[in-house]
Amino acid sequence: MKIVVCIKQVPATTAEKRYGADLRLDRASAESVINPLDEYAVEQALRLQESGAAESVAYLSMGPESAGEALRRALAMGGDEAYLVTDGALAGADEWATARVLAAALDRLAPDVALMGMASDDARGSLVPGAVAAIRGLPLLSYGAELTLGDGAARIRRLSAAGFDIIEAPLPVVASVTDQVGEPRYASLKGIMAAKRKPMETWSLADIGLSADDVHGAALTRMVEARPPEAKAPTERVENVSADEAAAKIADWLAARKLI
Amino acid sequence: MSNDVFFLAEFADGKPARSALELAAGAAGLAGAAGGAAVGLAYGSGARDGAAGLGAAGAARAVVIGDGDAPVITFAAAAAAAVQGDPPLALLAPATPNGRDLAAALVGLLGVPAFGPVRAVSLADGRVRAEMATLQGSVITVSEPADDAPRPAVVLSLAGTFTPIEGGSGTASVSDAPAADAGAFGKAKVVETHPAEAAVVNLEEAQVIVAGGRGVGSEDGFRPLHELAGVLGGAVGASRAAADAGWIPYQLQIGQTGKVVKPALYIGVGISGAIQHRVGMQTAENVVAINKDPDAPIGEFADLFVVGDLFQVVPRLTEEIKRRKGQS
Repeated sequence: MKIVVCIKQVPATTAEKRYGADLRLDRASAESVINPLDEYAVEQALRLQESGAAESVAYLSMGPESAGEALRRALAMGGDEAYLVTDGALAGADEWATARVLAAALDRLAPDVALMGMASDDARGSLVPGAVAAIRGLPLLSYGAELTLGDGAARIRRLSAAGFDIIEAPLPVVASVTDQVGEPRYASLKGIMAAKRKPMETWSLADIGLSADDVHGAALTRMVEARPPEAKAPTERVENVSADEAAAKIADWLAARKLI
Repeated sequence: MSNDVFFLAEFADGKPARSALELAAGAAGLAGAAGGAAVGLAYGSGARDGAAGLGAAGAARAVVIGDGDAPVITFAAAAAAAVQGDPPLALLAPATPNGRDLAAALVGLLGVPAFGPVRAVSLADGRVRAEMATLQGSVITVSEPADDAPRPAVVLSLAGTFTPIEGGSGTASVSDAPAADAGAFGKAKVVETHPAEAAVVNLEEAQVIVAGGRGVGSEDGFRPLHELAGVLGGAVGASRAAADAGWIPYQLQIGQTGKVVKPALYIGVGISGAIQHRVGMQTAENVVAINKDPDAPIGEFADLFVVGDLFQVVPRLTEEIKRRKGQS
């Protein structure tokens, strides 16, 4: 049983972000991290490996060469090997192109489970897992609060409108998990040292059998404008008053806006 | 080429979700500008019986892509078949787990461009223009389909992006999607269902939300929040910290990994306002925060920030609102 966890390198939440003249994020200007929600997928995969349900855990990322750092960080948490698809033709890739590339790389790796986080911190479309499943012609188990494996099938626990469902599909599958799978572990010093010796392979588009035309110049979308958000009206503050006064002030504020 | 605009319309027990009514209005607006019609792709339990009712919400037609409680992803092939004959200009999908699953499958199956979640969408020269708050809202970006990109443009829309049409009439003409093999997506099966002990509201439909965080301290601590929500005719929500602590069901979690809500009024109580929570409520029309920490980050983006003890302020606010309502 083999799991490949797909990882995206993203600008840190706290990092200052800038867009270049081409309206692309200047990723070099921002501190980069593993997409925090992908760390939950790493954690889920490592738990499955530790329990014996999975034999191997590998990581796959698409991005600039620097995304290799995110893969090393994942390897420091655990797992066996990593693959980076990097190619100048992929700059500015949209969700469709990302899915196309990951699908082609996953075809080569042929895992039983391709596992992803539920969303990326920077784009938040959450479309890549489903699009990868569609392109590869595999079942999708998305938004799992827990993933289990056994009897040739994968199962997730997924929130329903009120309670939860268990959804099952035969392997191989594409799955995504939420932040309910358990807090991601920290990399130990020993893990960080060990990660340096774990194999990491770099692939170009040609290595995974795709051309720049196959990914429509990296995007079916085109950004035409990037601008700062509208300035927000300043916050009204109420402090150093009694609870009665505070309650009256809030009620006045709500009444002035016809909210009560 | 068709100038129609499709939208995903989820049903439960024959009734359309609020998202279906919102997207119907959005699709009708865009289709009207393009000279086409709004068409709903109906799915979920009772979708076939309820689909005609989408007419009152703005749809000219409805195509049933799946009726029943199967995982929504199993309807993806039917959705693709419904879209493929004469591809519409755009397809609006709710930015919910189910809506995103179907949207993602269409992006992969059809090789079409995806946008969003959007905060606004318009048409310019027959092309969709999607406006998004990107990178946790630090930048507003506007995107459109690339030249020669196939149709439709798939557009994820957050709750509250469009306003349902009130008092509409008329029925949508209903048809079934062309027969399609569900393929690999059809292999996902619900093998166990665990309903909740108590009914859980759909936060995306609430116009007033009173949300509690770590500062609420316990399940009992939520009682005054329920009372305040009660007098305001609203619902209770929570931050991830409160859901993780087990004080409230995960369905009521607001934020990056919970619901994204856009109520007329959001009152955050004992919530610090970390970025992960903020992205779930920052488009609420009015934001009030009550927190004992004068430096809580929520104080920087709330419209009204009250520094105080929630256990003192919230019950008094409930009483004050009751008193004022009694007088009017």
